[in-house]
Order: sequence, then C-alpha cells, then structure tokens
Amino acid sequence: MEKPNNENKKDKQGPDGLTKKERRALKVNARPSQTNQAAGEHAQKPLTNTNAQPGDTIVQTQTPVVNSKSLTEKELRRLEWAKKLEQEKKSNEGDKNLSKAEMKAKRREKQEAQRQQKSEQVKTNVSAEKCEPVTIKEIIKKPSSNKKVITPKKKHKVTEPHVVQLVQHLYNEDSLKQEDTLMILHHDIHPAFVRLGVQYSSKVILGSNARCLALLAALKLLVNDLKSPQKQEFCRYLENVLQVSTNYLNKCRPFAVSMTNALRYFKLQLTQIDTNLKDIEKKAKLQDIIDTYIDDDISKAGVAISMKVREKISNGDVILTYGCSSLIRKILLEAHADGKVFEVIIVDSRPLLEGKELLRRLVVAGVKCTYVLINSLSYIMNSVTKVLLGAHALLTNGYVMSRIGTAQVALVAREYNKPVLVCCETYKFSERVQTDSFVYNEVGNPDALSTTHRNDITPLSNWKDSLNLTPLSLLYDVTPPDFVTAVVTEIAILPCTSVPVVLRINASETT
Amino acid sequence: MQDMENLSDVSHLVNEIKHKKLYNSLDIALKTEELLEKLISHDQWKSARELMKLVKSRIKFIRKDLPTETTATSIMRHILKIIREEYESAAKKKGEGQSLHQLVTANSSDILDYSENLGSLRSSILDHLGEYKVEIESSSDNIAAQASEHIHTDEMIMTVGKSNTVEKFLKTAAKDRNFKVVVVEGAPFYYGHSMAASLAKSNIQTIVIPDSAVFAMMSRVNKVIISTHTVLANGGLRAASGIHSVALAAKQFSVPVVVLSHMYKFTPLYVVSNNHEAFNICASPADVIPPSAGKILNDIDVYNPIFDYVPPELVTLFISHQGGNAPSYVYRLLSELYHQDDYDV
Repeated sequence: MEKPNNENKKDKQGPDGLTKKERRALKVNARPSQTNQAAGEHAQKPLTNTNAQPGDTIVQTQTPVVNSKSLTEKELRRLEWAKKLEQEKKSNEGDKNLSKAEMKAKRREKQEAQRQQKSEQVKTNVSAEKCEPVTIKEIIKKPSSNKKVITPKKKHKVTEPHVVQLVQHLYNEDSLKQEDTLMILHHDIHPAFVRLGVQYSSKVILGSNARCLALLAALKLLVNDLKSPQKQEFCRYLENVLQVSTNYLNKCRPFAVSMTNALRYFKLQLTQIDTNLKDIEKKAKLQDIIDTYIDDDISKAGVAISMKVREKISNGDVILTYGCSSLIRKILLEAHADGKVFEVIIVDSRPLLEGKELLRRLVVAGVKCTYVLINSLSYIMNSVTKVLLGAHALLTNGYVMSRIGTAQVALVAREYNKPVLVCCETYKFSERVQTDSFVYNEVGNPDALSTTHRNDITPLSNWKDSLNLTPLSLLYDVTPPDFVTAVVTEIAILPCTSVPVVLRINASETT
Repeated sequence: MQDMENLSDVSHLVNEIKHKKLYNSLDIALKTEELLEKLISHDQWKSARELMKLVKSRIKFIRKDLPTETTATSIMRHILKIIREEYESAAKKKGEGQSLHQLVTANSSDILDYSENLGSLRSSILDHLGEYKVEIESSSDNIAAQASEHIHTDEMIMTVGKSNTVEKFLKTAAKDRNFKVVVVEGAPFYYGHSMAASLAKSNIQTIVIPDSAVFAMMSRVNKVIISTHTVLANGGLRAASGIHSVALAAKQFSVPVVVLSHMYKFTPLYVVSNNHEAFNICASPADVIPPSAGKILNDIDVYNPIFDYVPPELVTLFISHQGGNAPSYVYRLLSELYHQDDYDV
C-alpha cells in the first residue's frame, strides 16, 4: 500500500520537502553512511515483497538462482535497489542525509498503511496488488500533506491504477522489457535465446509462424553449441538448459501456441533418443529432428494449404483478408503467380497496422488491392466474395484464436452471408478450450493507443496522470465456430469442430 | 437570379457546415432555427403559403448541396408544421362561427389552402418558434436527466467515438452511480480519445480500446450507449462508421443498444442500404493511409466512409427528451414532428 504513496512524491525530492521535525532529527543523529545503507535495506524489504524471507541479503542475489519465478524477480528488484543505493552513496553528502530522512518517512508511512489495512480489513498478502484505485487515492491524500519521500521504484507504481480489472491476470508487471536487464540477469542463457527474447518483447518478430521458426532456429544453435558436463547425459542436460531458456523467453513474451506445440514435440523426441550414442551424433539427430519439423509441419503444410485454397479462388473473386498472416500472404501471392485474376481487400486495424506490410507485398507483386480500416467493414463487405483469415491457434472446442479483430471481421462476414475460410496448419491446433478472450490473452503496449499516425500528441497522451484513464490493447480474440465456414488445413478442408479429431490422430501418429 | 439572392442566408449556412465551422448537430440546429426566425420576422411574406414556399425552397437548396445533412432540413420541416398549426388555429379562431355542417361539407382544398392573410400569424409563429428554440436548447439536459433510469451501479458501458449528448448523459449518471465506460477510439478520426479524456476527468473509470477489440470486450459489456447522426424512418440509424459492427457484436452477446437522439435527428427518410448513393460520403483517405506511403498509393484503392447504416432490429431503444421509444414507434414520432405533406419536399 505504500507503493502508490511513494509514487506520488517521487519528483518532490530534496531537503525542502522535509518537515521541520524531520530536519531537526537529521541534525541530531547524523550517522555514517554504512548504517544508512543497512537501514535502507531493511526499509526496502517490506516494500518490495511482503513475504520476503528475512535471511535474504544482497549478496545472495549475485548468484543466479532460478528455482522459482518469484524468487528471481524478487532478487532482481533487490539488485536494482542495491545499485541505486551505491550510486547515491557515491554522489554526494547531502543525499546521504536525505536517504536517512527517507527511511524515517517510509517507516512512518508503513505504519500508517498498516493501520489503514486493519481498518479496511484487507488481507495482508493481497494488499498492494488488488487494491482499488479509489482506496489508493484516499491513502495518497493523507500523508502527502506532511511528508515527501523519494522512491527508487517507479515503473511499478505508475502502472498500478491503470490496470483493467477484467484482465488483471494478464498484466505481467515484472516482465522484462529493457534490453540491459535482459543481458545482466541471464548470462547462463545462450545468446541466441537472449536475442530472441529481445526480438519477441520488442515485437520485431511477429506472427505465430515467424515466432515458431525463430524459436526452432535458436534451438538448433543451442543444440549445436551445447557442451554437457562430464558426468551428465547430453539430452538430460539439454532439457535443463532448455527449461531455463524457455522460462526466460516466456518472461519476454508469453509463448505462442505454435511455439508450445513445437517445443513439446522437440522435448518428446529428446526423451526418445538413444542414450548410447555419442554427443555429436545426438546433436546431429536432434538438429535433424528440428529440420524435419520445420520442413514437414510448417513449410510443406503451408504449401499444401496454399494449393487447397487456390482451388477455391476463382477468377473475378474479391477476397477480403485481415491483418497480415504469413500463410495468407503466401496463398495470395501464389494464387496470383498461378494466373488467377482476383482482387484483395485488406482490412487493417490499430495499433499494429500489420496490413500495410501485406499491402506492400501484394502491390509489388501486381495484385489489385483495396485498403480500409476495420470500421469500414460494413461498407466494404457487400462487394466481397470470400473472406480468408489466418489463425494464431485452433482450440479444441472449435474456437479460432487469432489477432484481435478477426472475430469482428468474421461476424460482419456472416451477417452479409460471405464464406469465411480460416487457414491454419495443424501444428497450431491446441488442446486448450476457451470461450472468451480474457482468460488467455496478452496485453499489448498501451502507449501505442495514445498516439496516432498524424500526431503524437492526442487527448490521451497523458493518460498516466489520470487515475481513471486506461488504454487497453489486447492482442488476441477468439472467434466462435459458427462464424467460420471451414478451416483449411494441410490434411483437408474441415469444419471447426474437427479439431479434437485431428489432435487425436496426430497424437497417435507421433507416439 | 432573384431566387439565389433570396437564398443567400441558407447558402451561408451550407458553407459553414461544409467547412466544418459548424460541426456539432446542436449548433447546426440552433443556427437553422435562428435563420428561419429571421426569415419569418423580416421577410415580406403575406400568407402562410408564401412563407412555406420560402422555407421549402431552403430545404431543397440544402438537400441539393448537402444530401447527407439532415439536421437543418429536419428543423425546417418541423417549422413548416409549426406554421401550418399556427395558421390552422388562427383560421379557426376567425371562423368560429362555422357550423358543424359547414365543417363536414367543406371541401378539403378549402381547409388546406394556406393563402389567407392573417395579421396575427407572424407573431404567433414567432412565439411558437421561441418555445421550440428552448426545447432544442434544453434537449440534451432532458436526455441526460433520464440517465439514472438507464444506468445501474457497477455497469460496464460501451460507447463509440465522441458525442456531446452521450458525454453529458454519462456524466450525469456518474454523479450518483459508479460504473465503467469502455470507449472505442473510432479510428481514423479518434474522437474517442477526447471523449475518454473528458470522461476520465469527471471521475469515471474509462477504458480506451481500439476498434478491433469491440468483439472481445462486448462479452463483458452491459449496455452500448451511442449517439447517431440520423434516425431513419424505419427506425434504423445513419451513424458513424464502425457502429454497425458494434451493434452486430452487441446482438451476438444480447447486449442492449441504446441510442440517444435529439428529436431533430429523426427524419422521414427511408434508406435501407449502406451503398445507397445519397446515404454515405467518404472522407479523405489520408486519414487511413498517410500520403507519405509514397508510390504505393498509385496502385491501391482506399476508402474512408463516414457513415454506417444500422438496421432497426439491432437497435433496442431510442432516448429523446420525451423519453424512451422502441424503433418500431419511430413512424409515430415522425408524424408528431412533421406534417405528412412535408415528408417529401
């Protein structure tokens, strides 16, 4: 509960901010800097995490322990704090005194927060996270009148009021964003994975096929470079290393279904490798497995789907597509190269505006294109003959998980009685079941919503200053099966409801 | 070209609307009302028929130049009805001696002939216009006053883009209820941004979503409250583009769609398709794809339609200053607003 409180005063630092009482106290007991640091540590502990173990010290954080997610996050925070303290110590004498006052203020604040907690009957361990913005505000008002505190934790608290409760579970506050923290933390991770993590989190690699291919490529590098310790079996060791690496990747951006499936397949193959082989043979075999997977499940599947859809495209068709799916792009380009005469309407939406990339590629290839934003769907849908959509995953209950907006396109298409074809390789089929778009999703960068291509400054620009304003950008939605005419896979053109059948057959084939 | 000279007032109005000096429908309505007030008080008309002719010529002018502009023509149409009413009551007073027999046997052309020169007509019409003006001005307050009848505590309300009426409605409701508002930003114009900022300022929990997230969010929304450009005679809407898919999503999740509308937005117009010529207009495509995109622009079509047609079956309720009505009742509201003979000028 202290967190938003601190936040409120982060910019009012400086000796002026202290009350008379505090200043007096400062003069009386000026202490050596070391005790300052120690005190800082103690005061910080309850701030970072309520259930921090008393035994944990800064020294421990230098050794990268990765047994549990929460522990590493805790340590990361403490590491930052220790760094900050050291900087402050070096900078000047005045700061030292200030940090002393800081400690006092924090302590008092803590007491007050505790009092507040009791009166509100809030459970202690859910305090900071689940508190409603309204109550936060109340707390802010009280102490701000007489105390000024500097806080080293900024990012954390800014986002706190700007969380849509509906999708609170999707916000990953401790997700790694900055490149440098990525590097510092994980020196035991293969550089290919570190790079991949950065590319994922900065959305340089986008789209579930591209992300899966990049993962497999990194995996190949890892297999190639890995040297197992003397006494450990190569595959077991690889499993452990892989676990650490994927945990890290998951922090950068949650796994796509395609990636999960590919990884599961790889791990399964890993267990089946003959342990009597030499390491170098195992490596070759594993790389071979990855290559086959890329070739069969991704490339050839794409080719097969492309052929199937091409049969369905006739001359004079007007095909509507949404966003930029790599598979749809391939299909359209190949159909055009095949001599089919058709038009493409590309529907796009903010904040990613992926469709522009598809538009560029199609225009270069000479396909006649129309470009609209998603609000014009009803205007344009009348002239469409077929709707082609890509998918992020197909769920067992027949729902299609795809980029946000897909459901809306399918909805309007059904209203106008246009056939909707979803193109999806079977390796993206998932055993997950889902009926809404909130349980499993990702929250995109809210800042992307507050700017437009015309001006960077909009009425939303300072949304962070307003407690009530929250831009929400979800990345996926699920389309109910009744909007989808058919799913085109490499096996056949199927109804959505056939997902469990395909999964069952695929499972029996691989084992 | 005496005709054109006489129409200088209305052409000025049309220009102001065209150049977006007048954007708000309320401003347009008030300006139109003022225009006619001036016309009635200053112009040299002798009988109600002459006056009606003057007004009708203005309606025609606007319809020719701005086929999608309905606010101004609706106001004028309503004033036509006011003129008729005032004439009839004045004529009745004068001919009080008429017997029932005379009334029954009277030729219909006698009753509807508005040619008599009645001295008191001008002042009585102006009086009535004054009342009408007050009605227009207080309309959005009256709509907002009904807010607490429609919004309950802890609701999640979705709205699209920006509308002064909706904004006032929500803010009034927020005075004594806590609820959340999901604002759809409404690309490529992004009116939703200023709407959201304004709502947040009045302590309403506001979530801004892109247009693509409407379907995903709709499952948790309790009500969709929107405003519209025009209410068509069948109860359908001509609203900002994108609202059709919002309404479809609302239908999918059985979420009621409440449309806030001033009376002057009701028109006796029948348009039942998005692609009707007079129905839609397209704004500059530069909002959709910036000119900086370069050479690619030579080879592509880009559309930026302004309006969407929303069929009446997707609308649950209209709220005007007189209260709520179902779309099926719009025909009746129209006959109260306008005279049958003025439907098609």
